[in-house]
Amino acid sequence: MIALFKDILDYQFLRNALVAAFLVSIVAGIIGTYITSRRLVFLSGGITHASFGGIGIAYYLGVNPIFGAIVFSILSAFGIEALSHRKSMREDSAIGILWAFGMAVGIIFIFLTPGYAPNLLSFLFGSILTVTNTDLLSLLVLNVAVICFFIIFYKPILYIAFDQEFARTQKIPVAFFNYILIAFIAIAIVLSIRVVGIILLISLFTIPPATANIFSNHFGRIIFWSILLSFLGCFMGLIISYGMNIPSGAAIVVVLVLLFGIVKVVVSSCNWFKRRSSMAQ
Amino acid sequence: MRLSRILDVVNVSAGYGSEVILKDINFEVVDNDFIGVIGPNGGGKTTLLKLLLGEIKPFQGRVNFYPSSKDETLFGYLPQVSSIDREFPIKVMDIVLSGLMNRNGLIGGSGKQNRTKAIDILTIAGVDHLWNSSVGELSGGQLQRVFLCRALISQPRLLILDEPNTFVDNKFEKELYELLRELNRRMAIIMVSHDVGTITSYVKTIACVNRHLHYHRSNRITPEQLAAYECPIQIISHGKIPHTVLLNHNKEGQA
Repeated sequence: MIALFKDILDYQFLRNALVAAFLVSIVAGIIGTYITSRRLVFLSGGITHASFGGIGIAYYLGVNPIFGAIVFSILSAFGIEALSHRKSMREDSAIGILWAFGMAVGIIFIFLTPGYAPNLLSFLFGSILTVTNTDLLSLLVLNVAVICFFIIFYKPILYIAFDQEFARTQKIPVAFFNYILIAFIAIAIVLSIRVVGIILLISLFTIPPATANIFSNHFGRIIFWSILLSFLGCFMGLIISYGMNIPSGAAIVVVLVLLFGIVKVVVSSCNWFKRRSSMAQ
Repeated sequence: MRLSRILDVVNVSAGYGSEVILKDINFEVVDNDFIGVIGPNGGGKTTLLKLLLGEIKPFQGRVNFYPSSKDETLFGYLPQVSSIDREFPIKVMDIVLSGLMNRNGLIGGSGKQNRTKAIDILTIAGVDHLWNSSVGELSGGQLQRVFLCRALISQPRLLILDEPNTFVDNKFEKELYELLRELNRRMAIIMVSHDVGTITSYVKTIACVNRHLHYHRSNRITPEQLAAYECPIQIISHGKIPHTVLLNHNKEGQA
């Protein structure tokens, strides 16, 4: 472990990985708390996989794959948001269709692209060790935007998420907030692909808030603890992946789930003791 | 207090998509009204509320609002408790404060004054000890009370309640109706209810919604309204002491 710290000082790719983990933890903690509170996990999974279609097309056209992914994920997110207001289509079915369609488009276009697609696996499974300065800069910009938005509009975000119908009677521009937030979800998802990859991405947005929700029922505090838990998970996952020479994304997910299990057990046994002592009185 | 019109609904047809649920209805609400809305399921009670709240636009006709001043809050709204995610991480205090959203604007803190106001109103509803609880810890009746506080904190001119007597025990139901009667001195109230029996002794007028709207300025249920309701279980006659007269019913085993 001491060797790792020395390596972090010595190698820029390790420093970049840590900064990326930190930035992704913040944005995933905030957006993830919103996603889990509003039960949008499946929707987010759909957006994540649909973005692969954009990656495939971008490969085929020879442009930056992240750019393609952002276009695809925002379009699919807006599509689902617009659809959800009509009763003509069940929302989860629509998400399922988009989920598979995006992946299929991605596979077809990557197959059609001549030559070998070198970074394909890194998009599916993540490659936090190859994070570039451009990735970090875009993550930083996203973080600033998301943090400002959530601090300034904390109240309407919370109230709309809790009860849209009531918020509408209060003349809050509900549709406007919903579109902005779903755009943030889409962009946050795409920029986090680097860290854990499409297949494991939903973990960063769901496991930390779910863990924090075990011991807190306060929206703001869940955000705070999610960020901490998420960074702890990424950091420990990185150490393990470095030490054992296993893929970092998978190591991060396993650590996050272990943290969830530990918190669950600790909180449950605290409650059990409290119950027993109050019954003994 | 001047008694003036709050809103009126003129020749309105409304619904969702291609389905017309309310046909050619006319309706008005004035200050100090206390209107009980009854009707069979699917008859358009909720659609009528959504129309008044401006959530859906009419296919035909117009809904007019007559605000008396610029900064007044027109509606306090109490939705059905069943429409709420009971595991959402939000505290009672925040729920009540969310009722001030259209007064305080979108940004900035809630302010000590508003928090005191919220505690005061929670005290009236008898749930001030729950101010720091989250939704998941509340019973259905407690949540109803909290939602009532959220609807009242902005001192609306018209209070709209969607089946406030579901999930509550008899004691709370009675307290709720007494509270509403008290509130009715300061605001108009529209209440949707399945409970045809009890509400007639509290409301001033009854509106029956079944695709069409049967509304007379009286709390006597007319035979016409009963026919629209399709299940005339009981009817109220009202004098100085409200009492229930049970009518004959077609089905066996009922009065």
